[in-house]
Amino acid sequence: MIYYLLMPVFALLLLVFQTTVLDLFAFGKIKLEISLLLVIYAGFHLDIIKGGVLSVVLGAFLDCMTCLIPGFHVIFYILIFIISKNISYRVYLEGVSFIVVFTFLCVFLEGVVMFLIYLFFFDVNISYDIVNTYLPQALVLCAIGPACFALFYRLEVLMQHGEEK
Amino acid sequence: MPFPNKYRSIIIASILVVIIFIALSSILKSSGETSFFRQVVLEIVVPLENVVNSALNGIYKGWNRYIFLVGLEEENKKLKKKVSSLTSEVRTYSGTHLECMRLRKLLNLQESFQSQTIAARVIGSDRSSIFKTILLDKGKFEGLKVGLPVIAIGGVVGRIIDVSWNVSKVLLFIDYNSNIDALVQNVRAQGILQGSGNKGCILKYVQRLENVNIGDAVVSSGLAGVFPKGLLLGTVISVDKAETSLFQKISVAPSVDVSKLEEVLVIVKKEVKDK
Repeated sequence: MIYYLLMPVFALLLLVFQTTVLDLFAFGKIKLEISLLLVIYAGFHLDIIKGGVLSVVLGAFLDCMTCLIPGFHVIFYILIFIISKNISYRVYLEGVSFIVVFTFLCVFLEGVVMFLIYLFFFDVNISYDIVNTYLPQALVLCAIGPACFALFYRLEVLMQHGEEK
Repeated sequence: MPFPNKYRSIIIASILVVIIFIALSSILKSSGETSFFRQVVLEIVVPLENVVNSALNGIYKGWNRYIFLVGLEEENKKLKKKVSSLTSEVRTYSGTHLECMRLRKLLNLQESFQSQTIAARVIGSDRSSIFKTILLDKGKFEGLKVGLPVIAIGGVVGRIIDVSWNVSKVLLFIDYNSNIDALVQNVRAQGILQGSGNKGCILKYVQRLENVNIGDAVVSSGLAGVFPKGLLLGTVISVDKAETSLFQKISVAPSVDVSKLEEVLVIVKKEVKDK
C-alpha cells in the first residue's frame, strides 16, 4: 500500500527534477526524459498493476505539465510499458547492451509517433525538430540508461524493505 | 486479484486502455477551460519548480557575477558604443514621434483600442521539448483567462492555454500549434504566421505576387481578435517563391528571444474608446 501512496509524490518530484535540474544540465537542448526510463524499468521489473499505475500517473502528470497533445504521454507510456512487459517474459534483461538498444528504440519511437501525429493530424512536418531533439535525446538516454536502471533497482529494494516493515 | 492467471495481463491491459479513453474523452469534452486535475497539478508543481529554480539561479548568478568575468571589459566597451549610437537614434525617433502625434491630431484619428495589462514573471519554461510553453506566476485570482495574449518588450510572446488559480501556461508563438494572423508591415501582405519550433516561424499563404523582402517586419493583423493590431512578431529572413506554388514560403525570425524571457505582460482588456 505504501507504494501507491508514495508513488505519485515520487513521480511528481522526478518530473520536477527532470524539467528543472536535468534541463539545466542539458543546457535546454536535450530533454532528458528519465520518466520514460522509469516506465521501461517498470515494464521489466515491476508487476503489471504497479507498473501500469506508475505509467498512467507519470504520463498524466507529464501531460499536465508540458504536453500540448491531450493524453499523448499517458497513451505512449502505457504502450511502452506493455511492450516492455511482453519483452521481459522472453529476453534476459540484465544485459547492458540490451538496455541500451531497447532504450534507444523506445525514445526514437516516441519521436516517430510525435512526427506522425503532427503530420497526419496537424499537417505539419516536424522532421527538423525530431532529428535535433529526439535523436540526441535517444543517444544520451540510452547511454545513461543502465546507470538509471541500477538506481531504480536500489529505490525499488528500499521501497520493498519499507513495505515489509 | 480475483482474475484467473491466464487472462490477468490481458484484463489489466484492457482496464488501463479503458481508463485512458475515459480520461481522453473527459479532456476533449471540456469547453476550453483547464481541467480541475490539470489545475491541481500545476498548482503543486510550480512551487516545487520555484524552489529548485531559485537555488539553481543563485548558483548560476554567483558563477556569472564573480567567477566568469572573462571578456567583460571588451563587452563593456562594445555596449558603451552601442548606447551612444542608440541615444542618437532615439533623438531622431522622438522627433518623428512628435510629428506623428501632431499629424494624428490634425487628422482627428483616435486609437482604436485601449489595453490593460498585467505584468507576470516567467517561472518555468519547456525549452528542450517539441512543445514550446512557459509558466507564469499569475492565474485566475489575478483575472487571467485562457486565450489572453501575452507580450514582452520585443513583441508578441504567445497566448494563455491553461490557467489555474495562481499559475498560467503560455503557448509560445514559435510552437507548431500556434497560428497568428499577420501582416508584412511594408507591403501590407496578409498571411498566417505559424510556429516552426527551433527554426522560428513560417509565414504561410502570402501570395506570390506580393513583393516581400528580407528584413521586412511582420506584425499582427488584429483580425483573429486575439492579438491587437500592429504588435511586432518578427523579421523576414528568407523568401522562397517557388514557380509551381500560389504562395510564397517565408521564414521569419522571432522578434522576442523566448529563451531569455523573464517578465511578460498579459493583455487582459481590450476596449474601443467612446467617441
